[in-house]
Amino acid sequence: MKFYWKLYLVVILASAKIRFLTILRYPGQLVLDTFIPIIFAALPILIGRATEGANAAEAFQRNTGTPNYMAYLLIGSSVFTIVSFAFWHVAYWLRWEQEAGTLEALYLVPVHRIWMAAGTSLYSCIRSIFTSFVAYFLGALILGFNPWQGELVLALVFLLVGFVPLYGMTLLYGAVILKVKEANALVGLMQWAVSFLMGVFFPISIFPPFLKIIAYLFPPTWMTNGVRSALLGVGYFMGNWYLDLAVLWGFFLLAPLFGYWVFNRVEVQVRSNEGIGQF
Amino acid sequence: MVDKPVIVDKVSKTYTVRKRKGIFRSEKDFVQALKNVSLEVEEGEIFGLLGPNGAGKTTLIKILTTLILPSSGSVWVNGYEVSKHENEVRASVGCMLMGERGLYWKLTGRENLEYFGALYHLAPPLRKKKTTEILDWIKLEDIADRTVETYSSGQKMKLAFGKSLINDAPLLVLDEPTNTLDLPSASELRAIVRQLNDQGKTVIYTTHIMAEAEMLCDRVAIIDRGELLALGTVDELKTSLGWAKIIHVEGAIPARAVQAVRKMRKVRQASRANKNGATELTVVSEEGSEILPELIRVLIQNGANIQKLSPEEPNLEDVFMAKTGRSLADDTQVR
Repeated sequence: MKFYWKLYLVVILASAKIRFLTILRYPGQLVLDTFIPIIFAALPILIGRATEGANAAEAFQRNTGTPNYMAYLLIGSSVFTIVSFAFWHVAYWLRWEQEAGTLEALYLVPVHRIWMAAGTSLYSCIRSIFTSFVAYFLGALILGFNPWQGELVLALVFLLVGFVPLYGMTLLYGAVILKVKEANALVGLMQWAVSFLMGVFFPISIFPPFLKIIAYLFPPTWMTNGVRSALLGVGYFMGNWYLDLAVLWGFFLLAPLFGYWVFNRVEVQVRSNEGIGQF
Repeated sequence: MVDKPVIVDKVSKTYTVRKRKGIFRSEKDFVQALKNVSLEVEEGEIFGLLGPNGAGKTTLIKILTTLILPSSGSVWVNGYEVSKHENEVRASVGCMLMGERGLYWKLTGRENLEYFGALYHLAPPLRKKKTTEILDWIKLEDIADRTVETYSSGQKMKLAFGKSLINDAPLLVLDEPTNTLDLPSASELRAIVRQLNDQGKTVIYTTHIMAEAEMLCDRVAIIDRGELLALGTVDELKTSLGWAKIIHVEGAIPARAVQAVRKMRKVRQASRANKNGATELTVVSEEGSEILPELIRVLIQNGANIQKLSPEEPNLEDVFMAKTGRSLADDTQVR
């Protein structure tokens, strides 16, 4: 079969569209989602306020590179929202289709699942950008700091470049879910593990060396630090923004390919036995 | 060799399953769902795939539609080998496999059809036109803009059937399409299938309802426990019983009476099933009316209370029983 980009673009857009149509039938969820990052950041902010001693802001700056702990934590929780959405929308996607009973129907059409996953990723990307941006600006208003500080465009570039390896990583995780079928437990565990490793509430510089190496292997770690450095000037891992961005570009190229390779292998394995529709 | 819509050549399928041995312990087990099945489907025919639940019909259908891979053997669909050209196979087949579960319940009927049209690469104007045509054909136009979750079970089945028509494929694979449909809807759907067949589409139709296959299919294959038991036109299969005659006995028939009938010299098979609250005994015999006096005597002597006794022409149900020694009477009520 010949490959026509336009045909696959139609599949991507159609797959994103049905996810939007579905969520728009639950409008309350869209609104409530925007409060999650604010509440998520508010918890450590309030703990910090309750326990802060003299020179708390200086101590925070010494460890993180900024005295603005509220913006630091809110950025962390907003980026975590993007990561969490990626897990629940993309890694969980096949399981969602399986539970809905539509997964086999998707395997009956002459399109590789990767294109439908791309549509689901597009949906997740738009929804999570919207949610995290609203949460960031609303949170800034509630907590009382200026959200327009730093280099907003560069922060956005870090987010956008980070999306692709993030979805590549979640596709890989989706393949694992397809195989072992323990979706909720796996996604739940992994999103918290990633939130810990990407440094939602603290800089990864405080990790012991072995944990730091693991954290560096996750694209969300680079996304979070890139956004924080662009907005708050906490300092790039490699010293310069373009070097950190180059690392993210490396993930950009490798993670989707690796995810695709693993996904295909798992798919063949599953189809060789009971088939993809089995729970 | 590949000029026929479907060629199945010595296909076997074995599943690996976990057998539970307690709360924490399990061991590997193997289930052979298909055993060396070979068959061909001719262009323009309605080919019935019959058998009880768990016979292997759906496994075979899933192999034909690329959902699972065979453990051994080869399959060609519309000239493409399924293990090598899955996208070409998928593009050339219209499938209804999971019944109402193959739909997005939070989307409307129209949105469902348009989405699957996009996945089959239909251009937007054609997608909309095709969707309207199908909705009109399956008489769901009035509720097309309601979410599927509000449909009745029968309406969902109709929409799932409509979805199989969206790519206008030359081969339709329909897995138990009249399940959950009421009498008029089932009959309406069969009429549409016949109409599509008249337009030149080849149809593979699986059912466990023998009478449905008898009224719709040009040729049928009977599958049981993964094996192909019989293959031919309905008349050929009935004729294959040869000398056998069928006698149906209704009433209160205890197990020992069935055992006694089975021991009669000229009885080939005897099986008992429940039909409309009474017990029905189907006897396959070398003789028709001639065996009746002895049959009645044996039944009464063994405590049977006979309400109705009728020698009949064999049907597909009888063919199945003659081949397997088991009856499908409970499953063969035509809706």
